Order: sequence, then structure tokens, then C-alpha cells
Amino acid sequence: MKRVLRGLHPVILVAVATQAASAQDGTWALTNAKIETVSRGTIPKGTIVIRRGLIEAVGVDVAVPPDARVLDLSGRVVAPGFFDLTSTLGLPAAPAGGGGGGGGGGPQGPQQTPSGPIGLEPAREVASELRVTENDVRTARNAGITSVLVAPTRGPFRGLSALVPMRDDTASKWLVRSPVALHMGFQSVPGRYPGSLLGVIAYERQQFYDAQRHGIVADRYKANPRGAERPRSDQNLDALVPVVRGEVPVFFAADNENEIRRALNIGREFNLKLSVVGAEEGFRAVDVLKNARLPVVSVEFPEPSATTGWAYRGSTRVEANDSTTRATAAKRVIEGNAAALHSAGIKFALTSGTLRPDQFMANVRKAVAAGLPRATALEALTIRAAEAAGVDAQLGSIEAGKIANLVITQGDPLTDSARVRAVFVDGIHYDVVLPPARPAGGGGSGGATAQAGGSWNISTQSPQGTMQGTLTINQSGDSFEGTMTSEFGTATISDGQINGRTISWSISINAGPQPITVTYEGQVEGDRITGRATAGEFGSFPFSAQRRPQ
Amino acid sequence: MRVLFQASLAAVVSVTAAAQNQPAAPAANNAGPLGLPIPPAGTLVAITNATIMTASHGTIQRGTILIRDGKIAAVGADVQVPPGAKIIDGTGRFVTPGIIDAHSHSASEGINEGTQSITAEVRIEDVLRQDGTSLYRQLAGGTTTLNILHGSANTIGGQNAVVKLRYGLPVDSLKFEGAPPGIKFALGENVRQTTRPQPTRYPRTRMGVEDVLRDAFTRAREYQAEWKKYETAKAAFDRARQRGAVAPIPPARDLELDALVEVLEGKRLVHCHSYRADEILMMLRVAKDFGFRVASFQHVLEGYKVADELAAAGSGGSTFADNWAYKLEAWDAIPHNAALMAERGVVVSINSDSDERARRLYQEAAKAIKYGNTSEEEALRMITLNAAKQLGVDKRVGSIDVGKDADIAIFNGHPFAPASRVEMTLIDGRVFFDRATAPTLEWLIDRNKRRTRVTSEDGR
Repeated sequence: MKRVLRGLHPVILVAVATQAASAQDGTWALTNAKIETVSRGTIPKGTIVIRRGLIEAVGVDVAVPPDARVLDLSGRVVAPGFFDLTSTLGLPAAPAGGGGGGGGGGPQGPQQTPSGPIGLEPAREVASELRVTENDVRTARNAGITSVLVAPTRGPFRGLSALVPMRDDTASKWLVRSPVALHMGFQSVPGRYPGSLLGVIAYERQQFYDAQRHGIVADRYKANPRGAERPRSDQNLDALVPVVRGEVPVFFAADNENEIRRALNIGREFNLKLSVVGAEEGFRAVDVLKNARLPVVSVEFPEPSATTGWAYRGSTRVEANDSTTRATAAKRVIEGNAAALHSAGIKFALTSGTLRPDQFMANVRKAVAAGLPRATALEALTIRAAEAAGVDAQLGSIEAGKIANLVITQGDPLTDSARVRAVFVDGIHYDVVLPPARPAGGGGSGGATAQAGGSWNISTQSPQGTMQGTLTINQSGDSFEGTMTSEFGTATISDGQINGRTISWSISINAGPQPITVTYEGQVEGDRITGRATAGEFGSFPFSAQRRPQ
Repeated sequence: MRVLFQASLAAVVSVTAAAQNQPAAPAANNAGPLGLPIPPAGTLVAITNATIMTASHGTIQRGTILIRDGKIAAVGADVQVPPGAKIIDGTGRFVTPGIIDAHSHSASEGINEGTQSITAEVRIEDVLRQDGTSLYRQLAGGTTTLNILHGSANTIGGQNAVVKLRYGLPVDSLKFEGAPPGIKFALGENVRQTTRPQPTRYPRTRMGVEDVLRDAFTRAREYQAEWKKYETAKAAFDRARQRGAVAPIPPARDLELDALVEVLEGKRLVHCHSYRADEILMMLRVAKDFGFRVASFQHVLEGYKVADELAAAGSGGSTFADNWAYKLEAWDAIPHNAALMAERGVVVSINSDSDERARRLYQEAAKAIKYGNTSEEEALRMITLNAAKQLGVDKRVGSIDVGKDADIAIFNGHPFAPASRVEMTLIDGRVFFDRATAPTLEWLIDRNKRRTRVTSEDGR
């Protein structure tokens, strides 16, 4: 192969030269590596030259520059760094509470207006709020993730996201792009309009109609204010104008079939540049996803009983009253979601949902085991994600001129035996220090066992409304005992376990003719637990708990 | 075990393909990887030798219904069955139009946007949900069409959706294509939030309810005028095409007022939750003042007191069969309400307002006969043709007439006899429920018995 060495544009050269000496100035030559370029196939044994944070050259017979530090990667594989497009890393914690999904009869009485964002802030810019910690960055990087899209996760209009590189030195100062997209969803806002799914959809449509007109009025006024209607001063409407004009994409969180269809209906009505984010039941909505902007597909697999169609299957004699058979069959379909989209010719990015980085990669491997070609999965974590975020000119593949975000593995990436050994972010080399081996499987949650002892206020967002209760935990090591009190009475906790930050327990409640077992699983973050509660055929719902002060 | 199994199959299988020389029916289309196989559309079907209660022109003994392309192609005692038709043997069976529930909250993820008293902008069609066991149970009760309404938390709750219970198909298939749009209003205690310890909003009295209604329609009239003014200006601008002239900017679109303007223009049917005679008369006055018709009063438990006024206004009454005294404003309800309103010329339907009652609306209709001496056919109309009229879909469904959609319930006995049950339910000529293949309670019990038997035979 010919020596590839493209001169940088002089203007960019000047710009780079004036920057203070940063770690980006390092010049590297990664030699003897198997290179998964993603965009141009696999190079069995090649060299990548990195200079000033960018890939300067890649190929079989690329010369090693004399000033380069050489990293001999014999037996290693280099791939573009992975993306996670569903992250809250570095965002201040959301206020407690939060809207229920649909249903309900409106507010139960006057509620306190929460301070801070409530999910009706299309103008909210994540970039101005980021407080990224080195620990968060390292956890992502250890899984091979080099770019993370940060956005709030609640409410109809959540704000404008930022794409953050996973580097130690104040990642938020080196944003790759901001804003990337307007993030939207279907959660209602507690205590005010829109207080239900019905209202959320109407509200979102009304806002877009308002923004369409606002744009026209503002343009007219700008062109000639004399005699023209003066536009309202409204930063949220200002932020929506480029969205209805298709200049800023929308990332719409929609997991189940109907949510996907609802989101795409809104996108179609206003001709938005809209990507569905989540799409856990994309296999049921292939017909509409086919004609949509590429979706960002979460590998956070839903519980079988929470999927659309679970009830249909119960109306056949084969599977009626046999939830084990149904669950096994449904699980196959759920984990095969990405494979089904691929078979239908749909291109997509993969993302974590709310999974931690290591769980994210574990579930990507499950998607591969369920039929997704490994090469497609790799594309979905790199170039497709870059396309979704609008940064495929500078990220997502190993090509000269792109940002040097690379993951170096032992073994082919996304195979069960692959181990991430090092990561480059903006041309900065980071070794991956493997966490000490943990005894007895456990999914490797990393870090010490969380301390969850004490009393907690717990709130479960069931379809019938929010269920408030208290949770008492007596922890001993990685297990615990305790009780949970709710409107169904006091239940003794069984099977209480804490694995790293993951906490889980079960209770049995008497809410009908037969007792129902509800299983909780969540993440402990200091004095807060968030996760999902699963109640058999009733489905699964989000819950959150807040530790009471001692 | 095998003998038992075959016997149970033979006892319930009643559908047979007639001609052997016909091309095989296309494979059942599956509504997705987790879907239920649904019979293909467009099959030629004949229901033969049945007692057909048409709801429009009496009962036909030993009659035949021929269904072609999802529509009723022929009905009568001497209909020739063409070769190739799939025969459903109706011997000993009673056939009625598919049952229409004029007041339902099924198949919807959320019914109240309870934060405001006027929420005309919210739409049930945005939150339809096709997956749910209760829908299948309603099909098993012969119900084929639902009027899915908002709850009664708000004076104007939002835009309803009329659906057909095409269970197992994607959510968009639920919609009753061509049904006129509607809107839910509500009056009385729910709107006033009388049962709440801490009411959250205006209005707190029936006076206030009338006020928010009049206020909403006054705003709608102004909005309508604003748009008319714009359209006139726009037309003038388009005609003149003057150099340098600036096109007028359209008024801000308002989704709430859009729906109310449609009511003013008679394009959207009003279904109004109501109990007391005084509030019904208030609603009729408001409607008259703003020049629209209330298509149906829902519940309308004191409708018998104002039946003449309802009939004169052309408003239907959709009521409970015998549900009363469950709250203060339901105190004067009587089970003769349906019959009394019907006698005075009101188009009356009996609704469920409940996933449970929606499974057995035929029993609810029978109560009109018990209490009010209503004729059998009139009682049947209360859950079929009259409901269709109230929803503006009576050209399509509600009776067994040539040209109508083949939405049909097949009973194993007289539908008003207490022990009768639905054996099969068709929508657009497609079998969406068939007791022969459904996992019914009887089947489950039988299967568990068989399981026990096998276990004991094996000595385990």
C-alpha cells in the first residue's frame, strides 16, 4: 500500500500550533496490529500513525516517523473507539420523584414545584453543566468506550446533548460536538401539565407548531422590524426553531413498539430529523423504522413479560398458562432485536440504555450470539453511532484525518474472550488496568460492595400510579435482610443481594387473589437507588429510593 | 389421554373448508415475532342454517349470511352458498351483529390529562394500545367496536377514538377507518373534584362547569374568526401578487381550539358524560347557543326526566342497564331509564364503561327487557345499531344488512338467555375469536385434569 500522509490544512495547522503543549502533541506509531478500520475492511498486520490527536496514516506499509513513540501491537487488534449514545455521565443528579408514564387521574393535590429542570427545557445545554469525574471516564474507557453522548433522561423536552471524549483532563472542555441533538421522551411532568402521556404528545406537537410560527415571525422581524409582528422572547422556542427546520436532530427515547410508532409519527408530522433511541422492540416496528433516520438501539433487554405481544401469546393454547415457555421464546426474540433489524436492511447504532459499560459490552455480545453479525455490531458501536451523532467526518472509523480514538484489544473485539488492553482518546494513550478478578462470576460490577443499610423512601412507578413506601435494609456483607412497607402492607425481603453497586431483592405482596412476587433490581449511587421492579405478568416499572437521613 | 384430547377437539371444531379443489388459503399472516396468527382477509365465508337476529329487519330462521371481501354480500333464508366458501355451520346458533360499546376505556394508555379542565387537544389515538388480555375477553363476548373515551376528570377531556377489536394486529389496525371524530365532555361531580380532599382547580361548582364550557367555545369562535380573517387576507394577497408585498403570517395554530372549532362546524361528535337532568339541560342550552349538537349523553342516568328534550335536540342517550346510587349524583337513577328514553324517541344504547361489563353487554341489554318491557329487537339495537348511530358509523356496522361490514357474533343460544355464550366473533369477515381454539377456562381446567391423570398413570 502506498504511503498515506496527508498534509493538514494550513489554517488548522496554525490553530493546533497555537495550543499549549498538551498530551495531544504526542506522536505515536502503532505497529504490527490487526486493524479493524470498519470503513475499509480489516488490515491483518498494519501500522497506524497518530499525530496531534489525529490519525495521520494507516496502512500496511506506513513508515514510522522518526519522532514517534512506537507501540508494538503484535497479537493485538485495533478498532475505532466505541460510542455510548445514552449516558448521563457528568450530569448533576436528577431531582427525586419524576413523572409517571400514562394513566392516572392527574395530580393528587398541590405539589411542590421542583427546583431545577423538570423536562420541559429544550434550550437546556448539557455542555454548560458537565462535571465529569475521572472515575466515570475510566469505567467507560475500560470497556473500550471513547465517546459518550450525555443527555438528561426524563421529560418531554430534555435538552441538548454533548458528545464527550473519554479523556482524563477535563473531558468537558474537549467536547467533540455540542449540541448534538434535542433529546425528547414521553415521560410526563409531575404536578403540572403535561401530566400524562396524552398530554405529553399534545404538548410536544403544540410546541413544534409554535416553533414553526416563531421561526417565521423572528425571520420577518429580523429582515425588517418596521410594521412586523415582534417575536416573543422565549429561549425554549428559539431552541426548537432549528429542530423543526431539520437543522438539529431529535433523539427520541422510545422503547416499546407503540412508543416507537408514536415517536416516528411526531417526526413525520413535523418533518424532523428524528432518531428513535432505545427501540428495544424494534423487531415489532420494522415497517416504520425502515423509512426512518437510523435508530440508536439499546441492548438493555426488557423483561419478556413487559414486551408487547406477551398477552397475545397467552391467547393461544400452546403457550397459555405456561409462562416459562413463553418467556424463553420471547427472550430469544428480544435478544435478537438487533439481528432482526439487520436482516430487514436497517442500519442502526447500538447503545447501553442505562447499563453500565461492562454490562453494555456483555449485552452486545448477547446480541451477537442471537444472530447479529459481529462486523455489524462493530459498525453499530462505531461508524453508525458517529453518523447518528453527526460526527462521522471525524470519528467512527480508522482513517487518515479522523480523531485518534482507538480501542486495543487482545482477541477480536466483541468476542467473549476479548480483553481491552489500552485505549487512545484524542491521541492520548491510556492503559486499561484490569480490575482484580472477582470471586464467583457476578457480572463484574467493579468497585467495592455498596453500603445500603438504613431506611429508604421508595417510590415505584406502576401503571396504576406511583406507589410510595419505605424500605429497611440490614446489610451484612453482600447480602441483606429487611422489610418493605407499602399500601399493600409490610413484606419481608427475600433474596437481598448487593453485588458491587447492583442491589436486588424480592418481596411478595397480596394485591389480588394470589400473592405477587415483585423483584427489584437497581444501582446504588450514594444515598439513591434507581432501577426497575418486575412483577411477573404485570410487567416491570421504574423505581427510585432515597436514603432517609439518620 | 389421546382419546380425551381428540374428543374435546371434535366437540368444538365446527369450521370446515368446503371445496377441496380450491387453491389453498394464503398462510395466516403473523403480526410480528410475538404476534398472534390472524386469519387472512378477503376470504369467502358463509354462516349457514342459523337464527339470524339482524337488528334492523327482524329475525331470520335457518338463514345464511354470505361474506365477501369482509362485507355482508347476502343475508336471508334462501341464499345460495357459492362453491369455495368457507362454511361456518350455524345450526342451533344465534347470530347477531357485532356488539358495539359506546363507552369504553380499554385499549388506551391513559385517559385523563387531569391537570386542566379543558384538554380538547389530547387524543386517544395517540395512546392506543393493542396488547391486553381484556380486549381478547371482550372479543369473547361478541364485542367488535369500542368508543374509547377519555375519563371524566375534565370538562372537555379530549378526542376519542372509535376502534374495532382486531386483536393481534398492529396498533394502527385497531382504528375504525372512516369513523367520524368525536370528543368527550363531562359534567358534574368528577369535573368539580367533589371527592378529592384537596381539589386542584376551577371549576368547583356546576355553575363553573358551564362557565368553562362557554369560555372555551367563545375562545373557539374568536380563533375561528381569526383564521377566517387570515384566509381572506391570504386570498387577497394571492390575487394581487403585488411587488414587495409581504404575505400574511397565519395565526398561531392551537390544537385545543382546532378541536373545538370542529365541534362548532359539526365535524366532531360530542359525547357528554352526565348524570342529572339539570346539567343535561344546561349542556343542551350551551350547545344550542353555540349551534352544535350533542351526539350522545353518556350515563345520562336522569335521562328519563328529560327524554323529550333529548329527543328534540337529536341527542342520543348511552346509559347503564342497572347501575345506580353509587354516588350522590347517581341517586335518582332507575333501571327503566333505557326503556323510558327509547319510548320517547331517544336513540338509546347501553354501554359498559368497564372492561368487565364489556364482555357481556348482551346480558346488560337483556335487562332492558326485564325492567322496561323493551322488545327483543329494540334491546339488541341498544348494543348494536343504536350505538352505531350515536357514533356515526351506522352505515358501516350495527346490523346484519347487505353492504355492511361483516362484524358478527355467533352465540350458542339466544343472546338474552342467561347461560348463552359467544362461540365465535368475526370482524370484517375474519374470525378474531373462536372458542374452539381459545384457551378458555374450561380448556384450562380440562388440561389440568389431563395432566393430573398422566401424572398418576406414570405413578409419579
